[in-house]
Amino acid sequence: MSSGIVEMHLKLLFDLDNLLNDIDEPKYKKIGFKVEQEEKQSLLRTRKALLKKLPRDMADVYERLKERYQRAIAPVDNGFCFGCFQKLPTELLTQTKGMITCPNCGRILYWRKKQ
Amino acid sequence: MNLASLLSKDRIILSLKPGKKEKVIEDLVYAIKKGTDAELIVSTLLKREELGSTGIGKGIAIPHCRSLAVDKLEIAVGRTTKPMKFNAIDKKPVSLIFLIIAPPQDPGNQYLITLGKIVQIAKVMAKKKLISKPNTPDEFITLINQVEKDLKKRN
Ligand SMILES: [Zn+2]
Repeated sequence: MSSGIVEMHLKLLFDLDNLLNDIDEPKYKKIGFKVEQEEKQSLLRTRKALLKKLPRDMADVYERLKERYQRAIAPVDNGFCFGCFQKLPTELLTQTKGMITCPNCGRILYWRKKQ
Repeated sequence: MNLASLLSKDRIILSLKPGKKEKVIEDLVYAIKKGTDAELIVSTLLKREELGSTGIGKGIAIPHCRSLAVDKLEIAVGRTTKPMKFNAIDKKPVSLIFLIIAPPQDPGNQYLITLGKIVQIAKVMAKKKLISKPNTPDEFITLINQVEKDLKKRN
């Protein structure tokens, strides 16, 4: 994934999309957390603004993937794409620049920092 | 999976300094992650709070979200030295905060199950006035274990 501020916007966009999914889950509402429509609309506006901050091609790819898979970003785990569970080619694993997508499913790949 | 097994001593802060909600959330996140990962989590948690406070009443708040910055369920607990403002639904100040972060994808939806469990346990702790009882993180975990067992028996 690309570096710095763009990466941060993309990751936050992804987190917010997961949040938007969760608040509509019946199970979530059952726990007792209620979210009003008004607040949800405001979150949708935030996501739109974030999307605008991304480079055009990245925003387009993200939206297309989200449409297709619900989750557009997949973490890389042990050399595997965590979206489609396929082994990633070695040459891809050493690439560090730009937005990297899974050659199998197309999801945007994300490498977790080692703690 | 029981809740007590998801807790770790170094993430239970029993003398948390009260302050602005944002700051307190930040302090708890830092018990779990540092750097840009922590920044992302804090941003997402605060966006969640904007949807409506996670202060569920009776002095308890449960800020929560999924984030790309974690690869498993992570929990931090804070008990503030004095009750603090959290815009809770009952408008009462908060002193016990369970902070929970889940990975984007978690098989079996452990996230929502755990979230529901924490709500249940925290409510019992408030009702029985147990929140101020534990003096150490170890005692806190033991108490959670006990409350959880009692709940299981009741169900
Ligand atoms: Zn893939």
